[in-house]
Amino acid sequence: MPDPRRRRLEIRDVTHVYEGKTATRALDGVSLDVFENEFLAIVGPVGSGKTTLVRIVAGFLTPSSGVVLWDGAPVAGPSPERGYVFQEEAIFPWMTVRDNLQFGLLAQGVPASEREKIVAELVTLIGLEGYERAYPKELSGGMSKMVEVARVLATDPAILLLDEPFGLLDAQTRSKMQDQLSRLWEEKRKTVILVTHDIEEAIYLADRVVVFTPRPGRVQAEVVVDLPRPRSLETRFSPAFLELKRSIWKEIGRA
Amino acid sequence: MNGLWRRRLWRALLSVGALAVLYGIASEIGSALLPRRIWMVAHYLEDVELLPPYRSLLEETVFLIQSGILPRSVLVSTARVFEGLALGAAVGVPLGLSMARAARLECLLDPWVTFFRFTPALALLPLYALWFGLGELSKILLIATAVAVVTLLGAYQGVRDVPRVYLEAAKSLGASKGLILRKIVWPAALPQIFSSLRIALGLAWVTVVVAELIKATMPSLGYLLALAGAYPRVPTIAVGIVTIGLLVLACDAVALGCYAVATRWMKRSPAHA
Repeated sequence: MPDPRRRRLEIRDVTHVYEGKTATRALDGVSLDVFENEFLAIVGPVGSGKTTLVRIVAGFLTPSSGVVLWDGAPVAGPSPERGYVFQEEAIFPWMTVRDNLQFGLLAQGVPASEREKIVAELVTLIGLEGYERAYPKELSGGMSKMVEVARVLATDPAILLLDEPFGLLDAQTRSKMQDQLSRLWEEKRKTVILVTHDIEEAIYLADRVVVFTPRPGRVQAEVVVDLPRPRSLETRFSPAFLELKRSIWKEIGRA
Repeated sequence: MNGLWRRRLWRALLSVGALAVLYGIASEIGSALLPRRIWMVAHYLEDVELLPPYRSLLEETVFLIQSGILPRSVLVSTARVFEGLALGAAVGVPLGLSMARAARLECLLDPWVTFFRFTPALALLPLYALWFGLGELSKILLIATAVAVVTLLGAYQGVRDVPRVYLEAAKSLGASKGLILRKIVWPAALPQIFSSLRIALGLAWVTVVVAELIKATMPSLGYLLALAGAYPRVPTIAVGIVTIGLLVLACDAVALGCYAVATRWMKRSPAHA
């Protein structure tokens, strides 16, 4: 039966081996589809190739075999169409918040007046009014991560690739960021792939969770998250949430 | 920060002051004990102050300033330093940047850079004197050579050390090669380029003084020292050395200030704040 939703991303039998003294097989025959406006989360232990997969989707890496099709065309190199938020700190420390936010717009030749308008909107969206002229060193870890997310959103990408974006933050800031991201997503309804090793984060944010096996990464299970939106603190303690959590942990236990 | 600076200033004054007092005592005792007649080259020289007391130094300073010798020498030597610095950096920095960005150029230049890295530019002095004459050109080119090697390495390493994540972020935001060079690579490499410029500035002073010592043309600080050594006049030598020291110190302070402004975005540990 054809899926009624529009398929944006097709990952077909992707295998990736990191060459070197000891070749490492990171991914082994992964196939996945991502649909329009879907929030997909990939969970798995460290070293299960999750990051490798999104790096391939972003175009930073070419897979050893298999193909990645974006709207039916093979991915060749990075593009602003596929926005990427890094695990590491990727905010440009020599640029002010404002210049960071408008970098993608500058790269695409958007006129200054238009850039100012979009930056003003984004600053409000992430609640950083008054920090436009601040350098990243004056921001907290959570704030600067949010600037990175907003910097990617500025150019209105078709898909957002989030590679453990909150991995470096403490638990409290992290849950705040998750709330903010959840609200942002409900507002913008973008197609998202979120990579995380935090199962709760995956359930809280996603429509569908894909569980990866330990190295080499393979798709072990898929769990549809049908929790109502908007999600809130209550969601995290609802029986349905806990049930999903139990079923994902069970899948991981079987690996 | 204010407290830190005040403490530093006090420490500097204290150490300089202590040394000055010790020298005062030593020179007063020395003028009585040291010979005023020395054997040099082929004959005796009379009335030499080997450890001149403060009043001789003061008299000499006043004379050198009033006669215009010292101000003119300072101007000439400083001009050479900055001309050499500008020329050397104008060659070294772009070369270093391109070398880090183009593998083929790196293969071509790397052996030369490795060779010159540990070869003092001053070793080229006789060659440059023959090629470019004894005048201005050979001195400035000599300084420029020393500066170019240091800044080339600084720029090269600066570009090489730009974290990959910034380049990938810029690329995935759709930045062109030119934009990445201007807005990512350049500002990210700038701290190292400035550090190398600071080292190059010190090296430029060393080079200029030695170049002027050997191939002297009046007036310049190196020539002043050479002349004072031949005479011999220790007070003149002392004034020359102190002048050069102060100039290098001042230049370094300016370089440090530029560095601080250019890198005001950097996170700093409190000890260096």
